[in-house]
Amino acid sequence: MAGSVVVEGVTRSFRGHAAVAGVDLCAGSGVTGLLGPNGAGKTTLLRILATVLAPDRGRLRLLGHDPGTPAGRLAIRRRLGYLPQEPGFHRGMTVFDFIDYVAILKEMTDRRARHDEVRRVIELVGLAQVSGKRIRALSGGMRRRVGLAQALLGDPDLVILDEPTAGLDPEQRLRFREIVSRIGEGRTFILSTHQTEDVAAVCQTVVVLHEGRCLFTGTPAGLIEQAAGRVWLDSTRGPDARVAWRNGDGLMRNVGDPPADAQLVAPTLEDAYLLLVADRGLAEVSR
Amino acid sequence: MTGWHVADDTMIGYARGRVPLSLGASVETHLLACAECRDLLRAVVAGGEVDRLERLWDEVVARVDAPRPRPLERLLRLAGVSEDTARLLAATPTLGASWLAAMSAALGFAVFAALAAGANDRGTLLFLTVAPILPVLGVAAAFHRGVDPTYEIALAAPYSAFRLLLLRSAAVAAVTCTAAVVAGLLLPDRSLTAAAWLLPALALTLLTLVVARRVDVVYAAAGVVAVWVPTVVLSHLNVGRFAAFGPAAQLICLAVAAVSLVVLVAGRDRYATTLGGV
Repeated sequence: MAGSVVVEGVTRSFRGHAAVAGVDLCAGSGVTGLLGPNGAGKTTLLRILATVLAPDRGRLRLLGHDPGTPAGRLAIRRRLGYLPQEPGFHRGMTVFDFIDYVAILKEMTDRRARHDEVRRVIELVGLAQVSGKRIRALSGGMRRRVGLAQALLGDPDLVILDEPTAGLDPEQRLRFREIVSRIGEGRTFILSTHQTEDVAAVCQTVVVLHEGRCLFTGTPAGLIEQAAGRVWLDSTRGPDARVAWRNGDGLMRNVGDPPADAQLVAPTLEDAYLLLVADRGLAEVSR
Repeated sequence: MTGWHVADDTMIGYARGRVPLSLGASVETHLLACAECRDLLRAVVAGGEVDRLERLWDEVVARVDAPRPRPLERLLRLAGVSEDTARLLAATPTLGASWLAAMSAALGFAVFAALAAGANDRGTLLFLTVAPILPVLGVAAAFHRGVDPTYEIALAAPYSAFRLLLLRSAAVAAVTCTAAVVAGLLLPDRSLTAAAWLLPALALTLLTLVVARRVDVVYAAAGVVAVWVPTVVLSHLNVGRFAAFGPAAQLICLAVAAVSLVVLVAGRDRYATTLGGV
């Protein structure tokens, strides 16, 4: 299938610690979100998918090619857009210069066509007004959009975005979601995030990672379904609550195993995610 | 936007290419700022010429938007380097002002120390030891993740990482060596300081790139330097005066450079993912 990502039993360790421990993943056309706490292995997995890091073990097929071979890797990179977790910029360059520089790295040799493409992506992320400004003069949110613009150069079939909404204010995050949902159709977007709202807003598929392993793969609705009947409101923390916090109207929102007379409420994606990670933590403690 | 507009007959003449150059330039300047006159121009040109007009307009936009090359980029273009390559080279961190300043300071120190030591061997040896280390450090810094801000973006792009590595290494080595040659000419013992360190510099730089296939490029550079310095000093003391720069040593350096180059080219695919596996 065009625009597909197939990952089977992929493992990658650093100094004896498995950052990614046997992950299986299959992503087709649409937006797939990786959710997980810090250290879950999201960045390592995305770097492997972006072909910048080789796995220790496992099988990978990206866009129908094997990234383990030079020819396969080149074919993938020609159709890949990648925004690293901490994208670096040549801060003395203007927005146009920087994206033009990345476009050269993406083998766009025809100057005129390249400049047209640079203008297109700058406009796409809403930075046309500042394209002549130096990157050092831009706000953090604008720099994030510069990073997104370079990832969209050449209309790639596979787009890997590592924490694209980190450090964005609510308005910028909304704008990002709007861009992703507008251009996400017909291509494979894989993004990592801490924000369950991002996943609920733009992702057709969600993958929950925890300590290098895949805890869940499915639709956001499927993940929410897992928490059905396990979220309740009470004046106090429930004895078998895995997670509980006081919400705006003063009641405790409990996620876990409810008592018989619990006032159950509809779960959100965040409830389901917290429950999944907490259940796994509990299972590990009891092992 | 403006109270003045291009007269109909002038616009017709302009559309047909029948106005003097100066008037044409004046009309074009006005068109850039006046949407009303652009509409008029669209109306007066024949249907078949609309495409031509749009092409012209795109040309104007492209010229106005095109980035102005930075000084280093312009210098490289003047030297005959292609536009793409010039831009890639201009973004090399160790061709920036901070590296050039650090390199000049190191060279200045070596020259000063050598001159201060008078015409004795110690000063010359200091210069000969330091000069080949500079391109090693420059090349290491050019590829270290912490120094090249776009390291991962460049790695995930289809442009050959190996080609980029060689291009930047060559540029850094050329700049550093040119500066060191000039510095060497300032010293009293020119027969040695002018060029005797060039082959060692080439060998150490290529060796660093080979070692960087296994470990972080900074550790690779540190390791190579850690072997180089005692080799120079001990061979000078025990084998003979400036033994590390004599004919036999030059041949060894040539062999190390050649073998390193062969290993680099044979294993060029290793540079396609992160160096040192980090």
